[in-house]
Amino acid sequence: RSPLHARYKPPATETNPALEDPTPDYMNLLGMVFSMCGLMLKLKWCAWIAVYCSFISFANSRSSEDTKQMMSSFMLSISAVVMSYLQNPQPMSPPW
Amino acid sequence: MKNLYIFIAVLFIPWSFTLAKYDEFEDGDDIMEYDDNDFAEFEDVNEDAVTESPQRIITTEDDEEEATVELEGQDENQEDFDDTDTQEGDTESEPYDDEEFEGYEEKPDASHSKNKDPITIVNVPAHLQNSWESYYMEILMVTGLLAYIMNYIIGKNKNNRLAHAWFNTHRELLESNFALVGDDGTNKDATSTGKLNQENEHIYNLWCSGRVCCEGMLIQLKFLKRQDLLNVLARMMRPASDQVQIKVTMNDEDMDTYVFAVGTRKALVRLQKEMQDLSEFCSDKPKSGAKYGLPDSLAILSEMGEVTEGMMDAKMIHFLTHYADKIESVQFSDQFSGPKLMQEEGQITKLPETKKTLLFTFNVPGSGNTSPKDMESLLPLMSMVIYSIDKAKKFRLNREGKQKADKNRARVEENFLKLTHVQRQEAAQSRREEKKRAEKERIMNEEDPEKQRRLEEAALRREQKKLEKKQMKMKQIKVKAM
Repeated sequence: RSPLHARYKPPATETNPALEDPTPDYMNLLGMVFSMCGLMLKLKWCAWIAVYCSFISFANSRSSEDTKQMMSSFMLSISAVVMSYLQNPQPMSPPW
Repeated sequence: MKNLYIFIAVLFIPWSFTLAKYDEFEDGDDIMEYDDNDFAEFEDVNEDAVTESPQRIITTEDDEEEATVELEGQDENQEDFDDTDTQEGDTESEPYDDEEFEGYEEKPDASHSKNKDPITIVNVPAHLQNSWESYYMEILMVTGLLAYIMNYIIGKNKNNRLAHAWFNTHRELLESNFALVGDDGTNKDATSTGKLNQENEHIYNLWCSGRVCCEGMLIQLKFLKRQDLLNVLARMMRPASDQVQIKVTMNDEDMDTYVFAVGTRKALVRLQKEMQDLSEFCSDKPKSGAKYGLPDSLAILSEMGEVTEGMMDAKMIHFLTHYADKIESVQFSDQFSGPKLMQEEGQITKLPETKKTLLFTFNVPGSGNTSPKDMESLLPLMSMVIYSIDKAKKFRLNREGKQKADKNRARVEENFLKLTHVQRQEAAQSRREEKKRAEKERIMNEEDPEKQRRLEEAALRREQKKLEKKQMKMKQIKVKAM
């Protein structure tokens, strides 16, 4: 079974990577929405959820995706948290 | 001009800030005055209390303290004493007790007993308490984040270890069978990198090429998302296992025309719904493989019985029975075009491209709790893959089978054409109209009037001819009908 012909190498692989696993994109979008909510409405829990979303998006991301978007959503969520606390230093109260 | 506007805008912002600051001042003043009136009797105590009170201490306040010496009700005094600043107030009041409180000793007591108003203890807002305990929700959040990060690191490393363990066990077999092992498509020449290509934290690819009958083989190690905590928690509810997906692209001349699949019943049902080729060519439900000695867990989907007969030779049956628990699905198809595309109205005008492929999906044993040692058990499956490649090359349908297969394919194509007939007609119509419009434009753009006239005449003549042809056809049809 010795190999004979050498072929080209088109591991261009996934024809439709967008079809599979939209999680990182959704999480990115959610993260941005939550951080905007947190900033505009001054809700601390929104900002914290935004941080979580951005982390989840990062964990699920494909290596081909550029890191700039990931970093921008991460920075936005961190800034939402910081701004919420600067404007209102009171700790978060649990909903119960 | 623009710069001026910007300058004014920039000045406006700090001005508004200072305005806001003054607002704060005013509020502060009011509260301070209130406090002053209450402490008026205990002047010295007053000053100390003022210094203890939070933040907004303004030097101008001292003047006001001296000014406002009013006798207020002693109830209020009691209230202020019960402020959190009372601690300091109490300790401070002792040196002053001697003289000042002489006449007042009974009075405060008396008024205290007369006091019908409830003593309200003012709650100091949490952020002024200066204790970390009040921020427990935040601490919880940060702990959660840290836990997520820890899980990410641990999961990533585990997936990495599993992938490399797999590769190490399979490397020899692959290198003996393929000339080119591992390629990420970045180099211009086809050189073997000998490494897995990491697409994700949980997906690893490997492209092998350089064998006699196949164009190439793409191996995808699809691990569970161990790096995502949410996924880990979800998996606790619903166990799943890592998968190894192998896709072998065959050369056109090396595989005959047939569609065949074997695997777990659930997987086959799902594939039949999803995959374009299986749904079109294999119309029956998955049949049990008991006839050939396969275990009950496996079922067979095939285009025609002859293919099944040909595929199920002794060695294949041996492979399938021994490793039935690891096999999810095996699909040989010459019309493979991937999963069914979501088709919109009027979009498709031709069949999707097909490629001759063999697809294998294996489950890694351990159902999530795999260790690198489990990878060794997948080695025989790789030998099965190699064997199947050779088998697919050798297997040829006989004449009957070939005829049936060709008929099937023609049927599928016809169906497709019928479906898209309307769309193709519309497309042709629009193309014709485009042509006419282009011609007319050309005629209009012609500068020379002579040429214009000539082109017009030519177009007219062409139209006439077309009409005549149509009429002839109609006449012929009429004659035939008669």
